[in-house]
Amino acid sequence: METQYKDVEVVNRGSSFNGKDLTLRFLALTLTLIAAVLLGVDKETTTVAITLVPSLPPVDLPVTAKWTHMSAFVYFVIANAISCTYAATSLIVILATSGKNKLASLVIIILDIVMVALLFSAVGATSSIGLIGYKGNSHVHWDKVCNVFNKFCHQVAIAVFLSFAGSITYLLLIVISALKLHKKF
Amino acid sequence: MSSFDAIIPTQANAVKSSGSPPEYKSSTKKFEVFDAALRVLLFATALVAIIVMATSKQTKVFTLLPGMTVLVVAKFDQSPAFIYFVAALSVACLYSIITVVLSILASMKKGGDTSNLHFYFMMFDVLLLGIVASATSAAGGVAYIGLKGNSHTGWAKICNVYGSFCFHVAASIVLSLISSITLLLLVWLSIYVLFKKITRR
Repeated sequence: METQYKDVEVVNRGSSFNGKDLTLRFLALTLTLIAAVLLGVDKETTTVAITLVPSLPPVDLPVTAKWTHMSAFVYFVIANAISCTYAATSLIVILATSGKNKLASLVIIILDIVMVALLFSAVGATSSIGLIGYKGNSHVHWDKVCNVFNKFCHQVAIAVFLSFAGSITYLLLIVISALKLHKKF
Repeated sequence: MSSFDAIIPTQANAVKSSGSPPEYKSSTKKFEVFDAALRVLLFATALVAIIVMATSKQTKVFTLLPGMTVLVVAKFDQSPAFIYFVAALSVACLYSIITVVLSILASMKKGGDTSNLHFYFMMFDVLLLGIVASATSAAGGVAYIGLKGNSHTGWAKICNVYGSFCFHVAASIVLSLISSITLLLLVWLSIYVLFKKITRR
């Protein structure tokens, strides 16, 4: 009975995190960083021809599309920045403690789940606003804007896709943590 | 033996746990009850959110010219984000019914070993948390534009006209936020149960 306990203690003292975990965290860091930066530098200025008076030729008005114009995009950039910072911090904490600190491992798993929810919500909000911008909504008379701001909309779509990949990475991290917690049993 | 000891295991803790299996079983029972209660809360909030969103239809009469009136309806299925919201929450509702049954069946089982169940619960709970969180924020984004409008894109606000519709949508979003927090607590509970099973050995 005593020797059995000794075996389990040796297994428990091992590292809680392995190479797969670190690779996934680094991948999540890069994906969310690129997504936040892509939307954070997104700005487009085009000219729109507006006919003020029917007899005069149409006047060219410059219009700008920036990410700060839409509150959902602001939320997206902030959420991706938070999860990027968290990925960097958890990577440093794991490397510093070599995965031996049980409390740190538990806190990191708990915060991973919060990051999954945060990133999924950021993707959901931005894609729903982007869909309205792409297709418009005839019932409330919200016109589509992506026919005018083509490059802006493409950049938003790429950023959303990258952030979605980042949230899937966090989901895989939870799956790996759950498998590790379960297999030890 | 307090639950604090279980989080940071020491050699003394492992030796101590060799002689207390009944205490371990009863403390897991508490978690099973808490788990089932949270799932019932999830079912309740998801169901009420769906019902409130689905009954949010509002009709307003507009007079274009004297003598010519137009009826304009605001319904939830005029926006794809709200349709996705209702769909995602009905998935959460159905999932909560299934898992409440499974949770109660597992708590009645003799033996007290529920780690397998909590492992599967954790996987699907995290997935559902992602889906419900994205549904909440999608509906929230559209509702915010409906509330405030957007001057840069020329999207007019509608909540000054359709007050009751906006109120229904807002209440529904708050309820689904409670659902997602409930799912978060459920995942944390599963992690804690799985973690305790390792450190109790």
